[in-house]
Amino acid sequence: MTNTAVLEMRGVCKAFDGLLALDHVDFRLGAGEIHGLLGGNGAGKTTLMNILYGLYRADAGEIILRGQKVDIRSPKDAIEHHIGMVHQHFLQVESFTVAENIVPGTPIKNILRLDLKEAAARIAALGEKFGLSIDPAARIEDLSMGARQRVEILKALYRGAQILILDEPTTNLTPQEVDSLFHIVRAMVREGMSVVFITHKLREVLAVCDRITVLRDGRNVLTLRRDDATEEEFVRAMVGENLDIRRSIIFSGRATADTPLSPRLKKEPNSPHSQGAGEAISGRTPVLQVEGLNVLEGGVPVVRQCSFNVRSAEIFGIAGVAGNGQLPLAEVVMGIRPATQGRVLVFGQDVAAIGTAGLLAMGVAYVPEDRLRDGFLPGANVAQNLILGSHRDAPYARGGFLDWKTIFRVSHDLIAQYNIRTAGPAETGGNLSGGNIQRVLIARAFARPARLLVAHNPTRGLDIPSTEFVYSKLLERKAHGDATLLISEDLDELLLLSDRIGVIYKGEIVGVLERGAFDRQALGRLMSGVRT
Amino acid sequence: MNQQLVFERQVKPFFVGGLIRKILPYVLAIIASLAAAGLFIAAMGFDVWHAYVTILGTSFRTPNGFVQTLLKFVPLLLQALAFTVPLAAGKFNIGGEGQMIVGAIGATAIGILLKDLPAPVLLPLVILAGVGLGAFWGLIPGWLLYRYRVNEILSTVLLNFVSFQLLNYIATEVWADSAAGHPTTVPIAAAGQLPMLIGNPPLNAGIILALAVAAGIYIFTSRTVGGYELIATGANPRAAQVFGIDGRKLSLLALVLGGALAGLSGSIEIAGVQHRLIEGMQSNYLLLGIIIGLIAKGNNLAVPFVAFFIAVLEVGASAMQRTLMIPGEMVFIVEALVLLFVLLSDVIRRR
Repeated sequence: MTNTAVLEMRGVCKAFDGLLALDHVDFRLGAGEIHGLLGGNGAGKTTLMNILYGLYRADAGEIILRGQKVDIRSPKDAIEHHIGMVHQHFLQVESFTVAENIVPGTPIKNILRLDLKEAAARIAALGEKFGLSIDPAARIEDLSMGARQRVEILKALYRGAQILILDEPTTNLTPQEVDSLFHIVRAMVREGMSVVFITHKLREVLAVCDRITVLRDGRNVLTLRRDDATEEEFVRAMVGENLDIRRSIIFSGRATADTPLSPRLKKEPNSPHSQGAGEAISGRTPVLQVEGLNVLEGGVPVVRQCSFNVRSAEIFGIAGVAGNGQLPLAEVVMGIRPATQGRVLVFGQDVAAIGTAGLLAMGVAYVPEDRLRDGFLPGANVAQNLILGSHRDAPYARGGFLDWKTIFRVSHDLIAQYNIRTAGPAETGGNLSGGNIQRVLIARAFARPARLLVAHNPTRGLDIPSTEFVYSKLLERKAHGDATLLISEDLDELLLLSDRIGVIYKGEIVGVLERGAFDRQALGRLMSGVRT
Repeated sequence: MNQQLVFERQVKPFFVGGLIRKILPYVLAIIASLAAAGLFIAAMGFDVWHAYVTILGTSFRTPNGFVQTLLKFVPLLLQALAFTVPLAAGKFNIGGEGQMIVGAIGATAIGILLKDLPAPVLLPLVILAGVGLGAFWGLIPGWLLYRYRVNEILSTVLLNFVSFQLLNYIATEVWADSAAGHPTTVPIAAAGQLPMLIGNPPLNAGIILALAVAAGIYIFTSRTVGGYELIATGANPRAAQVFGIDGRKLSLLALVLGGALAGLSGSIEIAGVQHRLIEGMQSNYLLLGIIIGLIAKGNNLAVPFVAFFIAVLEVGASAMQRTLMIPGEMVFIVEALVLLFVLLSDVIRRR
């Protein structure tokens, strides 16, 4: 299967602002192969593929396509060479239909009368062939993340892609959507295509890839057939010596979380002084109290009758399938949007009265779910991003003036401590990779002692060592007596860290489980709305 | 990675190359645009070298040329800041000339109505009247944006036209100077005029005011919490809001501040240069201010330097028109090309 190479990249080098992103990287893609490109944040995976797709120019190295040396200067060249790429963040016009998003950029017969009927038929046929069910007339804004991604894949197929690059394709997908993506990828390979699958999630590459190349710090570490190595070998290649696997939280936790324990389910009553928690925790002071919360969004209830408490030295997890009210819940707790009914108290103070700025001043930290939309200033530099939300307080500010010397000193420390790959505090934030942006958000939230942390999918897009680091920080907080509201779509994460897990379904907390009574099956049932 | 290596690979290139890397694109853009403009000038049959010398040299050959340049520099600097301050918050103030005109009207009105006041009282009042009215002219679109989400580009542009009519009315009906053949008011009291730094050629103290304000704006945007919040709002209003910054209020504030800056340019024109309200006094400062702001990429430290460069070009242009008969519009082409090349250098650097 992998005898003949359709594509070879040799000795590729690329530096950004003096920082070496790729150091003589070789990459060989076989015909009809699914090739996993694995590595941590900033390992150079996306940079390498952006060079192949003509978005960047390599400083050195060559690309050999089907035995011939090629020069790819722009995505247009790449498309002419039948290379397609699906980015992590989609570039789509939300108010346009699927067909209207796919067709622009391809030859159009009659420019004056844009006839999309023929195109729609072709799109539908392509979808049929590869199992990408999508209605060409549907509007993008009405589609789920999984469907939007299928549109991006169709975009590449419509342009005749034979080599398809998928950049972190599973980031925003539900487990079911991930499965269907794998089916699609396998169908494509059966039709003779080759696929490059960029990810930092080992489990995914092991599930779907034929061969795996691991990059670390911009260098090749190894390339192996999937069956020729164990999971541990790949983990070691990815993380190097940075992580002691046997002592890590992530790998230690797996066993305990999977052990089925007797299910003891309790629905928390809608009272502010709930006794639903375990004895040890219930005795402690509540840091966060959510009381009978209702939120309407355009007249539709998105949070319904939510009541729970988070106490000091507790990690309270919220489990649920994405889009079940987690975002509005987090935003009401942080004072970003108002509650329609009910109230939220932090240290006994009404959030509606003190507002977000007041909460931040009290020492509440927030890691928003959508890092690009809600948590990052792409045009500002890394230091400016690191102080967002703490910018009014000492040591960053004094008497209305910012102390840049201190800010840069702290930023240098945070960049080193949180392993943010950047040229320095003065680098423009927009240059950072997705995982590094997440590290900035994490560093910002943990930089100051916070007695309450609201973290929404805090490890999304992070590699194993970084995730490990976040987990250790969260547990440190708990040991220190601080409270955490951990909203996550990663059930493993919640099982590993939480003292209690509340399950949210259609905006309602349908059940709360205590540690010791955690049961994956029961949680799964609650997440799909089945009550016992 | 050990510390030494970190320094060599990450820290050193950033700081050593930093300043050169920032200035180099500007230098290249200016050279390239002058070269391109040279082609036009040559194609029209004029002496290219002579044209260059006139454009770039007029400001520095005679004291008069230099003072002329400084007099151009003051309104250009303030107009550019009136554009860049709201731009930091992601808002476009295209009403600089209207705000300048109402500022000039305010300064003139005070200078005529309170002509009996002594200079230490009247002069500050004249200046502040311009600042205040300019700020009010910025408050209107700011408030419409805050309260009703009216697009500020539209409202600031439209208020320019209102200000033209106001000026016309005042210069022809209220305090018209019947001796002038053009809509003009009578002069303001001498006590309301800015003192001269140099008598001949005449240079008024307005430039000190403008430079002090520019320094203040730079400190505000780069060193204060308020300036940081302005930049955060401009960079990502949604993220700023999530982290407790009231972007709507800041946008309102930024437009008021922009109006005040443009208003100040109006009062300096009245108190320092014209001493009376004249129709057309806004020249094309608005457009040039926007170009300066864009070439400086909104960086308030770069604005004064770019503004000075544009002032040199402007003075050179009128000299070129007078002595070589080359149309002054040629300089517009140079300015536009500089902007295009600077923007282009961004695209090239990113790849």
